[in-house]
Parts: sequence; structure tokens; C-alpha cells
Amino acid sequence: MNNAIEIKNFTKNYGKHRGVTNLSLSVKEGDIFGFLGPNGAGKSTTIRSMLGMLPIKDGEIRLLGMDVSSKQREILQNIGYMPSETMFYPSMKVKEVIRFAAHARKMDCEKEAKRICRILNVDIEKKIHELSLGNRKKVSIVCAMQHKPKLLIFDEPTSGLDPLMQEAFFDLILDYNKQGTTCFLSSHVLSEVKRYCKNAAIIKDGKLMKTDSVENLTKSNLRNVKLLRNGTHEHFTYTGNMQELLAKLNQMDVEDLLIEEPSLDELFMHYYEKKEDLE
Amino acid sequence: MTLFKHEIKMNLKSLLIWSSCVGIFCFGCLLLFESLEGSIEPMADMYSQMGAFSTALGLDRLNISTIEGYYATEIALIFSIGGAMFSAMTGACMVSKEEEGHTSEFLNTLPFGRKQIIIAKYFASVAIITLFQFLCIFWELLGFFIANAMPETDCYVLYHLAQFFMQWEIGSLCFLLSSVCKRKQIGAALGFALLLYAMDFMCRVVPDIENIKYITPYYFSNASDIFTTKALDESMVIICFTCIILSSVSSFLVYIKRDLAA
Repeated sequence: MNNAIEIKNFTKNYGKHRGVTNLSLSVKEGDIFGFLGPNGAGKSTTIRSMLGMLPIKDGEIRLLGMDVSSKQREILQNIGYMPSETMFYPSMKVKEVIRFAAHARKMDCEKEAKRICRILNVDIEKKIHELSLGNRKKVSIVCAMQHKPKLLIFDEPTSGLDPLMQEAFFDLILDYNKQGTTCFLSSHVLSEVKRYCKNAAIIKDGKLMKTDSVENLTKSNLRNVKLLRNGTHEHFTYTGNMQELLAKLNQMDVEDLLIEEPSLDELFMHYYEKKEDLE
Repeated sequence: MTLFKHEIKMNLKSLLIWSSCVGIFCFGCLLLFESLEGSIEPMADMYSQMGAFSTALGLDRLNISTIEGYYATEIALIFSIGGAMFSAMTGACMVSKEEEGHTSEFLNTLPFGRKQIIIAKYFASVAIITLFQFLCIFWELLGFFIANAMPETDCYVLYHLAQFFMQWEIGSLCFLLSSVCKRKQIGAALGFALLLYAMDFMCRVVPDIENIKYITPYYFSNASDIFTTKALDESMVIICFTCIILSSVSSFLVYIKRDLAA
């Protein structure tokens, strides 16, 4: 299967400030890929470079088999993007914005736009300046999806959306994915990545920490250790050789013990902080 | 074409407000001509003998009691400054408004490409300046018609052609500013337009700084000069077009390479 996204040795700095360092990443066609990282980790820098907003000087980014630097228009024709802080022209009506996005692609997307508007409950007669962040996000979803793109890129899509709309949004993603659309989802909401993504990458301080399937990321040798000692409950995470852990535990006066797989949140914090709790 | 139409639509309100303000002001002043025609004649001699200021305003060459003189020294001044300010503002907002209004991410992720975006925006700004000219000319012609006086057609057309060149140049220079900056520089653009007018006025009054006339486009598009000589200074028109080409090419080169804010 071909790669929908292929990033090789990509580096981007803002003057003296760090952006992204030597990032390499690939996403297979048909995947729903989670891109995890805290604020300022480099997620938006990576995404905006993928879209051609930030020119690429070091490294290479290819989307749908085409080089971002030389085939920007062809790439943008086939992708849908939803930014984290969605903003449109305030004086325009919602229907005008949706039509403008369709005309930009020289496509008649009216039928699909109506369908998505109905699902997300979008009032197309309202002016943009009358909309809340959540409603602007819904308009952005319509603009990103109405032309049935081959690749969908979302930068923190659920912020501002109520839980019902989040559910409707992910249903739409799953629906498009079934039809072959690849989804790239940047988020720091780990539960949604665990629930909807097949594969994920973790980025921290502009560097890629780990890329794997969500299943494998969860199945790393990171373990939650909960124990009862001298009447006190203790909790820590452990990464490393199990024999060493058992030997250490044997030296402690343990009354009760539970060793379990970490949640994705804890896994994320583990990669994020890169801290070993038990030395 | 989608983006070009979009830009025209986005700027329509500003165009109508500015062209109405400048055009109706010119129209109103032209209506006054009929009533002033008789009373202003005795003052024409006095106006022509105010030394350097008469020279700067062209009152030493044109008789203010004639429609040519009245138009070139009074009305054209309003149109020149108003038109220059409008074109400066249009150019200065055209690109940077996207980053300031956080619409850059939406626009730049539609399949236009940066080259098409900057070209469409540039031509939209030129089209808006052209429409401004025509709307103001409409008001002026209405004023001439009601006042029952019309200046020489050749001079009038040549003056508006020169004004268009001037506004195009100022608009292009401010467009360059807009393609470099992430925020709208309206204050700087309006200041720039007025500074160029001040330079024109000063170089006409102070002989030592006469060479400034090659910098300010107000000089070659001055109505008094055009209505007197019935010609444009070719070398200055060449300088004007050089500025237009350099600023528009620079805008293009800067915009297609720089980092864009969301």
C-alpha cells in the first residue's frame, strides 16, 4: 500500500526558535493516524508545512505521492484541512464560504455539503461573525469534507465542539475512511486517538518520540505498578526488565500488588516526560 | 477568477464609500463653479501673484475663473489626494488582511497556490483602483454637465490617465508593504500617500530640492502642469512604470517564499 503522507528528515526553525527537528514519518493510505503532542511540540508546524504554508528548506514532504514544494495546488485539490483555530471572512454568510471553498476546487459539492450540514446542524444563512468557535469549526468540517478528499488533515479538531458534535464528527471520519480516505489527526486528547486511530506518532520538543500502531503503543513494556506497603497505597510506572522489577518488589515489604498496562494518557506522559519513575 | 471576484466583492463596500466621498466632494465643488464664476474673476489676479505658492498650486499658469483653472487647481487637488489615499489603503490591506484576520490558513489551504493568490490579489487591487477612477469620473462629468462647463477633453483624459498611473504606483508600493507585513499597515500607507504629496508641494516651492520631483508621482500627474502643457513628462512616466514593475515583482517574490502565519 502506498503512503498518503511521507515526511523525510524534515527540519523547520523560526529564526533561533525551534520548530521541528529531523522529523521522519509515514502514513499509509486508508489509515486513521493520530499525531500526539503537547502544545508547542511542533504539531501545527508540521501540518502547516505539509500544506505549504511554511516553505520547506530542510527535508522532504510528500502527500499523496506528490512533493509539497512543487505540486502544492494538485495536493490541495485532493485534501481537506481543518485548522485548530478556524476563521473565515466575518462579513460572509456560511453558505457563501462553503460555496467559495467548492468553487476554489472548481467542483459542485452542493449535495455533499448539504448532507454534512444536516448531520452537523449547520445554519448556512448565518453570517460568520455571528458564529461561536464551535459553529465555525462545523463550517470548517463542511469545507474540508464536501469535496470528498483523498486525505483529511485535522489540527485539534474537537476543541470547541460539544460531545454530541464530536461523536457526529468522528462518525463522518469513519464513514469517509471506509470509502478509502486517509485521515491525519493532530490532537492532545488521547482518548479520541485511542478510540478512533489505527496508528499514532508522538512528538515532543519538535522531535518524533515514537511511531507505532495505537495497539502496540499501548502494549509497550511500560507498566502501571500499584502496591500496598505498610498500610499505604503507592503508585508508579515502570519501564524495563520485568525480572529487575520483581527483584526490587521482592526487597520491599509488599502487602498487595497490581501490575497493569498503562492508559494512553499515561503512555503519552511517559513519552512526553521521558521520566523513569523507578530507577 | 474565483479569487479575483472574491477580492472585488470583499473590497466593494470600501470602494463605494471612498469613491462616493471623493466623487461627491468633487461634484459639489463643481456645482459651486457656476455661482463663483463671476465673483472669482477679480480674485484670479490676486491668486496668481502669491509667489511660490501660486507656482506650487499652478495658479500662476491657469486662471481660476475658467473651468480648466478651477478644475485643475481646486477639484484635481481633492481627487489627487483622495485617490492616492484610497489606492494606498487598498494596496496596504490586500495581502496582510489575511494574516491579521486569521483567514490566511483558510485561503492558503484551498487549491489556489501562492502564485495565483498574489497575482489575483494584485490584479484585484488594480481593478479596484480603476473602478475608483471611473466612479469619480462619473461624479465629475455629472458636475460638469450640471455646471454647464467642460474642460478640454484631451487634457481631462490625460490628467485622469496620469492620475491612474500615480494611484497604480502608490497602490503597488503599498501592496509590496502588505505582502511583507503580517498586519495591515493602513496608517503607514496613508502617511506615505500624504508624504508624497508634501514632497511634490515642497519641491515646487524650494528650488534646492527640485530633484524630488523624480521620486513623487504627484509631480508628473499634476493637473495644473497637464492642463498647461497638455502632455506628460515621459521620463517620469518611465520611472513610475519602473516602480510599478519592481514593486509588483518584489511582492510576488517575497510572498511565494515567506512563512505565512495562520
